[in-house]
Amino acid sequence: MNGRAQLSGSQASAAGPAGIGFDSFGTRPQPLPGADTFPKVFFAAARLRGEAVMFREKKLGLWTYTRWSQALAVVEELGLGLIELGLAAGETVSVLSNTRSEWIYSDIAAQAAGAVVSGIYPTDSAEQVQFLCEDSGSVFLFVEDEEQLDKFLAVADRLPRIRKIVVYDMEGLHDLDDPRVVSYEALLEAGRAARGRLGELEARCAAGTPEKVAILVYTSGTTGKPKGTMLTQGNVVSAVRSLFEVFPDVSRPERMAFLPLCHVGERVIGCYYAIFAGHRLNFVEDPNTVFENMREVQPGIFMAVPRVWEKLYSAVHIALNEATALERLAARLAFSVGEKVAARRIAWQPVPLHLRAGYWLARVLVLNNLRRFLGVNRVEVASTGAAPISPDLIRWFLALGVEIQELWGMSELAGVSSLVPKGKLRPGSIGVPLPNMRMRIAEDGEIQVQGTQVFSGYLGQPEKTAETFQDGWLCSGDIGRVDELGYFYITDRKKDIIITAGGKNVTPSEWENQLKFSPYITDAVVIGDKRKYLTCLVMIDQENVEHWALDRQVDFTDYRSLTRAPEVRELIADEVEKVNARFARVEQVKDFRLIDILLSAEDEEVTPTMKLKRKFVEQKYAHLIEEMYPKG
Amino acid sequence: MSIDAILANPEQLKTSNLEAAYGPVKAVRGVSLSVPRESIVTILGSNGAGKSTILRALSGTLVPTRGQVHFNGDNITGDDPAAIVRAGLVHVPEGREVFPLLSVGENLLMGSYARGDGDAYARNLEAVFGFFPILKERVRQPAGLLSGGQQQMLAISRALMGDPDMILLDEPSLGLSPRLTKEIFEIIVRINRERGTTILLVEQNANMALNAADFGYVLENGRVVMEDRCDRLREKQDIQEFYLGRKEQGVRETRRWKKRKTWR
Repeated sequence: MNGRAQLSGSQASAAGPAGIGFDSFGTRPQPLPGADTFPKVFFAAARLRGEAVMFREKKLGLWTYTRWSQALAVVEELGLGLIELGLAAGETVSVLSNTRSEWIYSDIAAQAAGAVVSGIYPTDSAEQVQFLCEDSGSVFLFVEDEEQLDKFLAVADRLPRIRKIVVYDMEGLHDLDDPRVVSYEALLEAGRAARGRLGELEARCAAGTPEKVAILVYTSGTTGKPKGTMLTQGNVVSAVRSLFEVFPDVSRPERMAFLPLCHVGERVIGCYYAIFAGHRLNFVEDPNTVFENMREVQPGIFMAVPRVWEKLYSAVHIALNEATALERLAARLAFSVGEKVAARRIAWQPVPLHLRAGYWLARVLVLNNLRRFLGVNRVEVASTGAAPISPDLIRWFLALGVEIQELWGMSELAGVSSLVPKGKLRPGSIGVPLPNMRMRIAEDGEIQVQGTQVFSGYLGQPEKTAETFQDGWLCSGDIGRVDELGYFYITDRKKDIIITAGGKNVTPSEWENQLKFSPYITDAVVIGDKRKYLTCLVMIDQENVEHWALDRQVDFTDYRSLTRAPEVRELIADEVEKVNARFARVEQVKDFRLIDILLSAEDEEVTPTMKLKRKFVEQKYAHLIEEMYPKG
Repeated sequence: MSIDAILANPEQLKTSNLEAAYGPVKAVRGVSLSVPRESIVTILGSNGAGKSTILRALSGTLVPTRGQVHFNGDNITGDDPAAIVRAGLVHVPEGREVFPLLSVGENLLMGSYARGDGDAYARNLEAVFGFFPILKERVRQPAGLLSGGQQQMLAISRALMGDPDMILLDEPSLGLSPRLTKEIFEIIVRINRERGTTILLVEQNANMALNAADFGYVLENGRVVMEDRCDRLREKQDIQEFYLGRKEQGVRETRRWKKRKTWR
């Protein structure tokens, strides 16, 4: 409760921008009392909600659903099946799959049986799979299908500790004869046959305590090998309980499930929080059909990474480019009203009646169509996290009537530590600490955190763990500041700070984020450590730049030739200039190069969420960088 | 001439952001190609990628919705097909489309109708019979009675009768035996080398096309995803896997899932 105490302290000393005192998140009665581990949360929730629909999944073009009672039976059978196959409490199980319901069932079942669960990105290579299985000491591995199984088989003889591999989708594998490989169906079957031993699973679940490690989340490892972040049952349960407190109720608790579940965000904030709060998860059919499926579901709660919000913005941008002059005019008028409303709401001021009337008209005539087109028309709670988002994007969505609450956290904090309260926006801020967390700015400007969600350490790396703490506070690695109302702001990653040859400290991410707001740019990396001036590598947005080039009769063939077209270079140069204009001279970027390879999530220089990794990019495109710093 | 020298030739044909549609369905979505004089350029792609549509947009049998076609430096976008043939660009359509009730000789005469005079006719006829002696033997037979391979030969010959600067060849291997396909391709290369005729070749048999051509474009969903010299294209991983049917077998003998294409 210290976080709250700190907040009310600042409340006394300062007033809001419009003179409104700040009230914190408020309290609500907690459901599922007594459930102190995540499996306990699930069993209690499933018994409470019984025949209600828990998940929806789109399979072969049709939405199918699962009731809580059905999910309960599946989890029990899986848990019993794992015990039958010899899973002991305290052992580790890995999951290598795209986001689907089986992922979650396996996760809960293994935890209920006392195991620790580690997620592996489906885009990882066979060698990475080997490392993650070895490092986590996994004895069971769940894989999605033939494609993922092949990764394991390629390194199978180097992973003797893995006793069984469970395959969700056996298509194309029925002839496979490998004693270590069993199908998901067979595991369920084994569990069904062992129903008589349900007491054992229940006993193992009951033996779970908040101190026990629940999940391993591997950090993406931009430098060195990935580290396994150990989150305890107490960490994840306090995270979902606190999310329940800070996010308001919605009338239609429909949510989308599409981000990788091995990421702490989708796992804890997406899935665990949804299970706790009784939100219905809708699994997309395929990672490529997210936006289509979203239009069908029209979720009431939408939580995503900035990349997804940027894509939604781009979709509108493209649609308007192809619209008629009248439609474009209407959109411009509607957005200008929306922006006025947004400005009031950002200033925490009431919206005057005439503006509300105008906005109502703008919504009915224009904006609601766009909202339906994007699938956000029924969104009541929206949030973003996992990467910095441009404040301009938050303003734009607010004009559209979608209030995005930015949250901030890290794997080591079970995904979330602070949130911008609803109705109390401050674009650019990561919000105020959750009720169970405390945050402070250290002397060197680093944000440090304490609270019940702070992780218990990196697996097998006590020195690395010790390095992360300072006087009992977790060092986040983010440099930031806090304002008079207790809102925190991030200015940069500590290790990303650039010191130019002239000795000037520059924080590149601010500049990069501004540039990323351009619909033509996916990501950018500013270079300039120990150099005379700053330069930048840019990854263009293929779809939008292609559209742009076609509209202007710019000749190009493939992606590479697109990045080499002089007109495209000029387009990006204009975008770079626009951003430069907002910065001081030393912080301006003097030159840039476009990355001429179309990167996909499998590539080592991008994260699974398609963010450029600074270190990898600097090495891989050294030749482009050197071009920008001619000798002499 | 080496491949480099051929590819350095001035452009015979060039398209800029060509778009073509069948009603509301965009088949070609902004394609820019460049075909140097005396070269063989191939367009690879799966069914429905938009390959044939490009050829139709070039020969004027389909009017492009957007973009431009330049032939010998002149803008021929949306010109009448007959005018395009007279300008020296001839289309050999998919499925051959010979006149089945006319004799082989009459079919060839049709080919020379738009261009040339008596002298040219005799000269071209001799050249055609040089490439395809079988047609000389069958000159009086109705074309409909020829085998598939012979009909393909006739279709190519009919195009040659117009003494074109450039031929658009659509799937010459369609429905032919591997041996015949090989023969036809050898002759296509000979026509190019001996007469200096520029050829734009659309082909599903990627192996054949990559052997015959100097430069290749890979088309997917109406867009170019890759372009390079054919000898370099052959070495690309995606081409080997998706067009040449060579794939890493992995640990198990079989593999059903497809790799993601990266086109690099």
